[in-house]
Amino acid sequence: MARTDGTLPLVNRHGVDWWWRFAYRHMVNSAFRTVPLYRERWALLGRTDPVLVSERTGVHSGAVQMDEALRRMVDLVPLSGGSDRTDPTRGLGPVLTAERSLRRNDFVAVLDNKGTPRPWDLPRGVRGCVLDPESEQTESAWLDLTNALRRDVTVVAVGADKQLAGLVAALPEEVTVRLDVVARRELSELDSGPNGLLHDRTLGYLGGLRDCGRWHLDWRRVYARETDAGLAFTLLRQQSPRLVDILVDGGANVSIGRCPRHGTPVVTP
Amino acid sequence: MTVSVLDPRVDPEPFGWTDFQRRHHLHAPWDYALLTMEAWLSRHPPLLVIARSGNVIVAAMAVLVCAPARAGRYARPRPFLGGRLLPRVAQVYQPWLGGEGFVLADGGAEVLRAMERAVRSRLGPAMVGMIYRNVPESLVPLVSGRGRLVRPVQPAASVLENRWGSEDEWLASLSRNRRKNVRKVDRLVAADPTLVVRSGAGRSDVDGAELAGLLRTHRTKFGTQRFDPRTPVGAEYLSAVVRRPDVHTLTYSDVDGRVLAFSTYLDHPVAPVLQFWASRADGARAHLYFDCHARAIRHVIASGRKELSAGRAMFEQKQTLGFGARPMCVVGVPGPVVGR
Repeated sequence: MARTDGTLPLVNRHGVDWWWRFAYRHMVNSAFRTVPLYRERWALLGRTDPVLVSERTGVHSGAVQMDEALRRMVDLVPLSGGSDRTDPTRGLGPVLTAERSLRRNDFVAVLDNKGTPRPWDLPRGVRGCVLDPESEQTESAWLDLTNALRRDVTVVAVGADKQLAGLVAALPEEVTVRLDVVARRELSELDSGPNGLLHDRTLGYLGGLRDCGRWHLDWRRVYARETDAGLAFTLLRQQSPRLVDILVDGGANVSIGRCPRHGTPVVTP
Repeated sequence: MTVSVLDPRVDPEPFGWTDFQRRHHLHAPWDYALLTMEAWLSRHPPLLVIARSGNVIVAAMAVLVCAPARAGRYARPRPFLGGRLLPRVAQVYQPWLGGEGFVLADGGAEVLRAMERAVRSRLGPAMVGMIYRNVPESLVPLVSGRGRLVRPVQPAASVLENRWGSEDEWLASLSRNRRKNVRKVDRLVAADPTLVVRSGAGRSDVDGAELAGLLRTHRTKFGTQRFDPRTPVGAEYLSAVVRRPDVHTLTYSDVDGRVLAFSTYLDHPVAPVLQFWASRADGARAHLYFDCHARAIRHVIASGRKELSAGRAMFEQKQTLGFGARPMCVVGVPGPVVGR
């Protein structure tokens, strides 16, 4: 059973599938009971895996196109209320710590637009900021980053390749050697590394490239299933806006598999 | 006489329903396809109760099955184990019409009592009672009686009785200030280059999801009412409503195509209904509310309809346009009295 705080217990590799599936079905049933968009779609058209209304199997197995989800964000809020804002930094902490160890006072800079919220799920004591590479270097995020680079802590910068290159070029050479850069990748951009985090602007951070060379999903928080329109993602712990079976661009050529080394779900281009 | 209780989610349309709807000029929300959609998208789904004399439908009732514990969730598709033991109240109500939830074509109170018994039999011992909402005073004798509680509904419904032969006569009947204001609003709307006004029946150029989102946000501004059994209107439901030929949709958009405000008008040979109204907090003009009502009144006068019903909100403003108050009552029927 799931714990009362909504977290899943640690399981061995043989239990991963069971828990992953259980959490997904729980989220689907909950969304069907409480969230307008899914109620409409799955009650009137249907879905598969699981089928909720007999003989109604829906379009794309019940998955929702990303642009429709964005257009109808207000309908992704449960009847009892909640936020209708997505968080592009959601999941950064768990995904990053699965790939590398972060200690107290380490620093994480997310390279993104100014309006992006600060990462909130980093491990305790790890500081984070959002840095717009296009902004003036006198801004506080730049100062925080350069100060961190001058101290004996790990500093990680997460961003798109171009943003990371711009950051490295903008920083003094003597401090860039201490900067740990991690590439942010969309589903259509999966490559062989050497490192990377799987990201979507609406869903947040979905997984990362691990030492085995495979793109691992953050399976405790993210579910993925294959449909005839591509890969559909579900956030297993986000209550509002509820994002269930959202088709992500570039998912058509990606499949779900299992890592033989870790025994957890991976996406394979 | 036979009575049947139908769950529109799973039961097919009853034989003769379309004919009954046409003969008695029922408004669009009585359409079985819309009832089906509404039932799926409701916290408290409606049942359709019909009474037949021979093969002919003589009465119909829309009954919302309200379970107090279901505040933040939709109704289950099928009763779960123990579901029949949860206390429930049956509300006879047409949520998107604002009026009474029953139609009696033939017969009297005994037909309604038989329908009550059928509902009690369907819902089981956990049904603690029935409530007839928004019953016009003229129909109260049909549902009142010994052991039944009758209370007035406040505020009353706004109904405009068409006693004018032309628009000029209507304008002449208004106060001087309101008449000037109506004309000023006409000029403001006509002269606003940033406002695109479209109106028509069977609109396929509007996005139900956009309208439903607007309606939901608009209603959130006023907070939730206690004991309100309605669920936010679903996008698919609204899409289906605005595409109907007997529903006129009026939209006010900006030049980018963003809907600033809209209303739906359910046409009817006798008593059309101004059904939904919603406006955006950012960008909508305050005078559009009056413009929407003035357009509906003009349509009623031009087409010779007998009256126009416009809900219960903002009565003082509507009164200045010629609307009057139509008293309505709520009738409570405790469990032991149901069907008696």
